[in-house]
Amino acid sequence: MGALTDILTIAKWEVKKSFSMMSRDVLPLAVILFVLLVAVTGFSAQAGLHLQDGMYKVGVDDQQIGQLLASDPRFMVYEADEPDLIAHRGDFDLIVINGAVYTGVSSRAGAAQKTLERDYAKYVNSVYNQQDDLFAAYPLWIDVQSVKSELSFLATQSGQYVSAAPVRSAPVPEGVVEQLATPSPTLSVTETELREQLVVSNTKNTQISRYTDALSSSSSTMGTFKTPSQLSPPLPFDSIILVFVFIFPLYFTSQFFMMSIMNERIERRGEILLSTPVAASSIIIGKMLPYFLGMLAICTALTLWIRAPWLILLPLIPVIFFFLANALIIGMLSRSFKELSFVSIFFSTVATSYLFFPSIFANVHVISLISPLTLIVLTMQGSVWTATDYLYSTSLFWLTGAVLFYIAARNFKEERLFSEKGLVTRMREFLSEVLSRRHPFLSLFLLTGFSIPFVFMVQMMCLVLFFNLPMPFSLVCLLLFAALIEEIAKGVGIYTLYVRDPGFLTWKNLVIACGATAIGFLVGEKLLLFVTLAQISDSVFGSILFLSIGSLWLPFLLHFACVLIVACFLKKWGTKGFVPGLALAMIVHCLYNLYFILGWF
Amino acid sequence: MKARHLSIIAKKEFRGLLSERTILLAILLQLFIALFSSFLMVGLTSMYDPSSLSKYSHFKYNVGYAGNDSEVLSYLYGSKDFRVFKMDLSTGVAALKERKLAAVIWVPDTSPDAEEPVKITLYTLQNDIQSAIVDVKLKDIFLRYEKVLREVREERLNELPLPLRIPASSGGGDFYEFVYGLLIPLLVFMPAIIASALVIDLITEEYQHDTLETLVSTPVTFSEMVWGKVLACEVLVPVQAGIWLALLMVNGIAIENAGLILLHVTVSSLVLILLGTLTALHYRERTAAQFIFSTALVVVILFALALPANPMNLLTRLAVGTAGAEQWVVLAAVLAVIAVLGYATQRYAERISRINHTG
Repeated sequence: MGALTDILTIAKWEVKKSFSMMSRDVLPLAVILFVLLVAVTGFSAQAGLHLQDGMYKVGVDDQQIGQLLASDPRFMVYEADEPDLIAHRGDFDLIVINGAVYTGVSSRAGAAQKTLERDYAKYVNSVYNQQDDLFAAYPLWIDVQSVKSELSFLATQSGQYVSAAPVRSAPVPEGVVEQLATPSPTLSVTETELREQLVVSNTKNTQISRYTDALSSSSSTMGTFKTPSQLSPPLPFDSIILVFVFIFPLYFTSQFFMMSIMNERIERRGEILLSTPVAASSIIIGKMLPYFLGMLAICTALTLWIRAPWLILLPLIPVIFFFLANALIIGMLSRSFKELSFVSIFFSTVATSYLFFPSIFANVHVISLISPLTLIVLTMQGSVWTATDYLYSTSLFWLTGAVLFYIAARNFKEERLFSEKGLVTRMREFLSEVLSRRHPFLSLFLLTGFSIPFVFMVQMMCLVLFFNLPMPFSLVCLLLFAALIEEIAKGVGIYTLYVRDPGFLTWKNLVIACGATAIGFLVGEKLLLFVTLAQISDSVFGSILFLSIGSLWLPFLLHFACVLIVACFLKKWGTKGFVPGLALAMIVHCLYNLYFILGWF
Repeated sequence: MKARHLSIIAKKEFRGLLSERTILLAILLQLFIALFSSFLMVGLTSMYDPSSLSKYSHFKYNVGYAGNDSEVLSYLYGSKDFRVFKMDLSTGVAALKERKLAAVIWVPDTSPDAEEPVKITLYTLQNDIQSAIVDVKLKDIFLRYEKVLREVREERLNELPLPLRIPASSGGGDFYEFVYGLLIPLLVFMPAIIASALVIDLITEEYQHDTLETLVSTPVTFSEMVWGKVLACEVLVPVQAGIWLALLMVNGIAIENAGLILLHVTVSSLVLILLGTLTALHYRERTAAQFIFSTALVVVILFALALPANPMNLLTRLAVGTAGAEQWVVLAAVLAVIAVLGYATQRYAERISRINHTG
């Protein structure tokens, strides 16, 4: 009860403080800027965004076709006679003579042709969807039925082309054949509904709609019916917009939180706050609460604005939480504004990539689910996702956010907040604070266990990064990086202990510390695996990342041996030995993976 | 104003950046995004335009065909991408689930000239790269069939579109626009935004850490200090943008007119940096200055984008090589804006230092 009152008081104080600071002469200008923003948004919606204007040069001999092409500002259209066009064909990406298109050889010409194809298809559709007899213009409809594969979805990814076996006769299923009803030959949707849908998906022809299409027209009433030209998976530009629409305001607001934390640290202003009898966790939560609510309000407003289902707020909450946790840590770690800017830009880019890149594949691959944004994309498209999917894509965000909050709360005190040391030193001090002096081994165990979500996150990142390299390279890269990341996570605890007190690492303590770290890592890994990541861990990639779930003593031995290497290097050569130790441990780890998992040698 | 004083201030700021090693983060960031942009190129192309990957194109997929005979069947037999098996629908779908087939097609007995449309049912695997490829390849076959059906029903149409014969596309090219028309202007302009945020940090830091007095007590004047900081940030822009271009080129993205791109970015970034400087001088406090500046930035960029031939569009056109003489007009316009902003900055800085001296 007392903590709750404290939190509310701090929250109120935070709101009041930021408003009093803001109102001086920020507010009038902010209002002006906001009005300008609305005006400019309206202006640019009308004028279009002229980012890609004039990318291609086209020569035409016919005025009507010229007009058709000139409606797309990406084309610079020149009208000339046929001989002129042929004589200067090198200057153009495309020339159109007598209704036939001739494409140049450059990649720009190839792209110009793609754009022309799309524009022309749009034009043709605009003619066709006005026909009285819709089924003369669109005589063919495809009803796409997705079937769940009974084999692992990653079979193709790991390099096997299952259905590729060169067979001469028709394949015979091995399992039970389920009798399917013959599909009805008629469409279950009326002609008017189909026409409406065709018109809607075609009218959006402005510059911006190239990027925003998916936001508005994604909820299709056509169900699974498509015309042949709608068959291929939609392009991912919608994800880009989603990221900017939803993530940018979050990033922006978390900046204020970051700054509020930083302001407490400048010239020891936060001393008054610290001298009150309020727990550090209450201060942090209280300071965070207004920002959390603000971000939630922004997301709600955005959801209302684009008329999306409320469900999309669910995956956003862990993202908000994660952003705030990181903002808190960054605000507490940086020494100067410059550092704050750079670190926060770095963090936001990495976080945005983590959120954004997987969601590009929302329509094609399950791996996209590692990003909560994918759930948003799916919701907007009207696809369903399950509670397991939610857990799978958000659990890492919840866990890492919580761990960061804990570390911040433990370090929210004078000697940490007002110290002027370097970034790395401060990080080490932060960790050092979490490692208890009385129970060092228990803390090592817990620290390593809780580092697992971070390790997974970074490894997921690597998985996404290396996913598309050619097969042997992607495996090798993943192997090396996965091992390195795990070794760093395991070594960092002992490193911190060593720097705090070099005398601590007696041989006996060293062995126990390594044991505690190895067990912590193993337990954390297995726990998280069982909870969430079964899908990924089934693939060849997954087995490298997360080792085998089966036997426990082998991975324990591996973890133990690797930490022991790092610890021994530390003991022998001091902090200078840390990096070589890591390198050696990484090699051992890789060899182990190669031998046991891939069965090489 | 002495050039030596400017360079002293600029050097001081660089030393600060180097000693904090945060500049390393910025470089790391660039590498990171460069890795991702190559991932974008390879990954996106293979995912959404699988035919561009030759390794998939020499491949025959097994397809089950059920229902009534139609021209689709003969297209499939003639296609070099598919191996077709006529089979019972239920058996076919069961085989599909076991991945022995890539897709199953069911065709009804609707005649080509019927009143109602022909509805083909296509069974594919959920969430599968391979089925995405099969979809793209089947699409060609369906499009052919649609064309035939349209010809059969042509008399029922009341208007025909202008004819245009487009040659078969060579594949790829889908991400050309994304890379050149979005990624490159965005990446090349990012250093300008970073630099303008940095100048706010540099100026407000002097105020908030009360180090201004010390600095102004040296022979360096207040406006020299301001311009020194502007200079430090401005120098960072071509360096960072240059690294971007180099990284993109290493990734196999050919960029024309790299020198001109750098020139334009460097000049236009000065607009943003001066805006940042003015905001910082006015507010002297980071939160407020950054807030106002970022909002103003959105307004300025959105407004610029809505204008034809804006600097960002110019970058795109320079990168693809379609920019003409109009770039010099744009450059002149940007320089004019800089002159106004620069004058305002100078006057503002002088006024502040006068107030400081008297007060």
